[in-house]
Amino acid sequence: MAIGSRLAAQTALIPAMLIALVVYCGSTGWTIWISLTSSRMLPNNNFVGLRQYEILFANERWQVSVQNLALFGAMFIVLALALGFFLAVLIDQRVRAEDLLRSVFLYPFSMSFIVTGLAWRWLLDPTLGIAKIAHDIGFESIQFDWLVRQDRVIFTLLAAAIWHAAGLVMAIMLSGLRGIDQEIWKATRIDGIPAWRTYIFIVIPMLKGSFATATILMATSVVRLYDLSVAMTNGGPGIASEVPAKFVMDNLFERQNIGLATAAATSMLITVVAVVAPLLYAQNRAAAKAAG
Amino acid sequence: MSGIQVRSLKKSYGALTVLQEIGLEVQPGEFTVLLGPSGCGKSTLLSAIAGLDEIDSGTIEIGGEDVTDREPSQRGIAMVFQSYALYPTMTVRGNLSFGLKVKRNTRAEIEKRVSWAADLLQITPLLDRKPGQLSGGQRQRVAIGRALVQDAKLFLFDEPLSNLDAKLRTEMRVEIKKLHRELGMTIVYVTHDQIEAMTLATRIAVMKGGQIEQYASPDELYERPATLFVAGFVGAPAMTFLPGVYRAGGSPAIELDAVRVPAGSLPLAGPVGDGTEVILGVRPEHVALAEDGAVGQIVDATTQFMEPMGADTLGWFGLGSQRISARLAPQRARTVNGPVRLALDLRHASLFDKATERRL
Amino acid sequence: MRKNARGLTPARIGLYAFLVISAAFFLLPLYVMIVTSLKGMPEIREANMLALPHTPTIAAWVKAWSSACTGLSCNGIQVGFFNSVKIMFPSVIMSIAVGAVTGYALSLWRPRGVALLFGILMAVAFVPYQVFLFPLVRLFSFAGLNSSLPGIITVHTIFGLPTMTLIFRNYFAGIPLELMKAARVDGAGFWRIFGSIMLPMAVPIIVVAMILQVTGIWNDFIFGLVFAGRENFPMTVQLNNIVNSTQGEREYNVDMAATMLTALVPLAVYFISGRWFVRGIAAGAVKG
Repeated sequence: MAIGSRLAAQTALIPAMLIALVVYCGSTGWTIWISLTSSRMLPNNNFVGLRQYEILFANERWQVSVQNLALFGAMFIVLALALGFFLAVLIDQRVRAEDLLRSVFLYPFSMSFIVTGLAWRWLLDPTLGIAKIAHDIGFESIQFDWLVRQDRVIFTLLAAAIWHAAGLVMAIMLSGLRGIDQEIWKATRIDGIPAWRTYIFIVIPMLKGSFATATILMATSVVRLYDLSVAMTNGGPGIASEVPAKFVMDNLFERQNIGLATAAATSMLITVVAVVAPLLYAQNRAAAKAAG
Repeated sequence: MSGIQVRSLKKSYGALTVLQEIGLEVQPGEFTVLLGPSGCGKSTLLSAIAGLDEIDSGTIEIGGEDVTDREPSQRGIAMVFQSYALYPTMTVRGNLSFGLKVKRNTRAEIEKRVSWAADLLQITPLLDRKPGQLSGGQRQRVAIGRALVQDAKLFLFDEPLSNLDAKLRTEMRVEIKKLHRELGMTIVYVTHDQIEAMTLATRIAVMKGGQIEQYASPDELYERPATLFVAGFVGAPAMTFLPGVYRAGGSPAIELDAVRVPAGSLPLAGPVGDGTEVILGVRPEHVALAEDGAVGQIVDATTQFMEPMGADTLGWFGLGSQRISARLAPQRARTVNGPVRLALDLRHASLFDKATERRL
Repeated sequence: MRKNARGLTPARIGLYAFLVISAAFFLLPLYVMIVTSLKGMPEIREANMLALPHTPTIAAWVKAWSSACTGLSCNGIQVGFFNSVKIMFPSVIMSIAVGAVTGYALSLWRPRGVALLFGILMAVAFVPYQVFLFPLVRLFSFAGLNSSLPGIITVHTIFGLPTMTLIFRNYFAGIPLELMKAARVDGAGFWRIFGSIMLPMAVPIIVVAMILQVTGIWNDFIFGLVFAGRENFPMTVQLNNIVNSTQGEREYNVDMAATMLTALVPLAVYFISGRWFVRGIAAGAVKG
């Protein structure tokens, strides 16, 4: 390879390398470092070990955030996977207007979380939203005020998030389904196996890759959850719908406590690594096995 | 036009040595074919000559200049690839002129060369089409055209006809031969098809396991193969190999499994030791039925079966536990059966040392 | 896919019923948004959400566009719209340009350190943005990029790099190596090959990249909030300000009109691009 061209290639990679080193690695490192210091409004270099983390985990707002995210995350992933998979299976049954249906299920994904949050907030407005419809029909006693109930508000975010993401899961599952050898259906028909059994015991195991992909994508967006919470409820009522990302933002910019904020951010990072790494590893193993 | 000198070229991929101290000299204007089975190193050698792959040691000279450290575009070469490698988003004209543009030729010069090449290869009506709109054969011509416009010292072809169907392959073979005769360029051509090699080449380098077994004209390869491998690779139907022991003396002979063949008429390079284990190679066209008045050493054989091949029939006969094939006229073959007497014309046969596999 | 006798078996009817109900669920918020934005406030208070407007009016849309109040000023969300446009065009171009060149260099040239660089890029795709925020803010204020248009553009380029590099790298990796060899024999170097051969061949993946980036950057909220500066707040941030910081009476129709306006661009991209959108998701979803 010519020296000239090799040099050109390395030069062309300089922006990426700069970004990778300075921004990605450097920032991460600095954030972790700050979380180990006593920084408040401005960064200082007083090493305090894990004290910020102790404060963090004793903080009620943080505890609620984490609980919310765990509950939300688990339910979101499971329900979105289920709904997305189900929709994909249905669409795969050679229905008419498949393109139209797919467009309808997938368009929410193109909308921003702010738009999603605001639309759903309006929909679930305790006075004028769906609650009012129920009242008008005659169900006076039904209160659809989950948006303002501390013990229920997280489910409103859940509904909005599933609405947003199910289409994406469906798209991933659909391409997975289409990649399955059609001969399998002939074989199961000859053997007399009912369709639902085929789906549960044969198809789903074959779609491990699609499930992994969808799960990883959703897990990543769950941890990032911020816009939706801000738009729908701004963490309320009270701190009932706080999420970790919002905790970091608030402490970073409003409360001026960067030590605590970076500790929170680092905790988020560790959680993501802990969850995603085994999934990726499993995916790699599956791919390597398939490649033989 | 100029020649090539390759000296002591060595290349390895990790622990695997792909080219073992290769030496090759191509005269200006020659059509040299690198022939061999997959994995013999012929494509690697071509890539090395082109400068596309780095080598471990050795030198390469093109036109008298040492180009070992130079980039492909600075070696004065042009190349035609197996998959044509045409730039899909450019028209044929664009493909032909790209290299010239990169080398900063004037527009007039580019126009002149492109028209000349297009005319020569009869692709002028295709100049404004894109590769996706062309047939396989047309793409092949464009690929050759791209090489021709370069005014290169050396033309490299990497199995250019492998992707074409049989009929097209035969046509293109004739075209390439004509081009060489008209333009007289120096060519190094890689193929695994021995018929292609035999029809196109001035000299063929038969390669095996990273080494050149023999580098000679097609006739030389056919009539006097230097090794067992070359003898078996070149020529179809294949040569028959009969293992045996050489008996030297006043009337030398070869002891085969069941018969003893007088070996006086064998064209040997030098004396062969008594008791040497040898392999006798005889081509089917040099084996005939004795009663037809054929010349040669007579042996007794039994008829086994006939293989009709159209113009000839290949007859298979048993010599004890060994088997020998003979080219017969179809009508004659039909009348042959049972014990026969075969005449082996040993003046055209080959004798190989069993251990070294080299020609004696 | 099940083989099925055509015709309306009960199972088939059930299938379509479920699909229609699901479709209704997905369309509901959009319908409600549009319908609400076309009503007057009295009607919103009285009638129920699902009802069509008595006398549809675009007054709310006009107000949202030109005179809604975003914090201190009341110039409507058009300010945010134009900001988003100003942010989007350079960001999309830069992030795709850097990603394309990086993906090209990684897949077809492989200089030293390739595996490591690629590994870092891929890992970053999973990291929550909050980890990078503070150091970036400090870095930018040091470089004078804080609260500025160049700042937000740089941020989008930085965070678009992993996905863009991935899809371009995967695309270029599928190009036959003999094409590179032919170009080298022709004398073309790194940039010549990129500009004359690879880029024209990459048009399909560029379209996909544009879809991903236009949607992602337009919909972004957090980066716009932190890095763009008050005068450059994108539409999403302005929208949130309009709806969530209104004093006194909320004008739901204006809110919904503003929301729809913000959603228009990505929706348009979505419906125009059709299959390409799905292809974009598939390309971006293939991580690791």
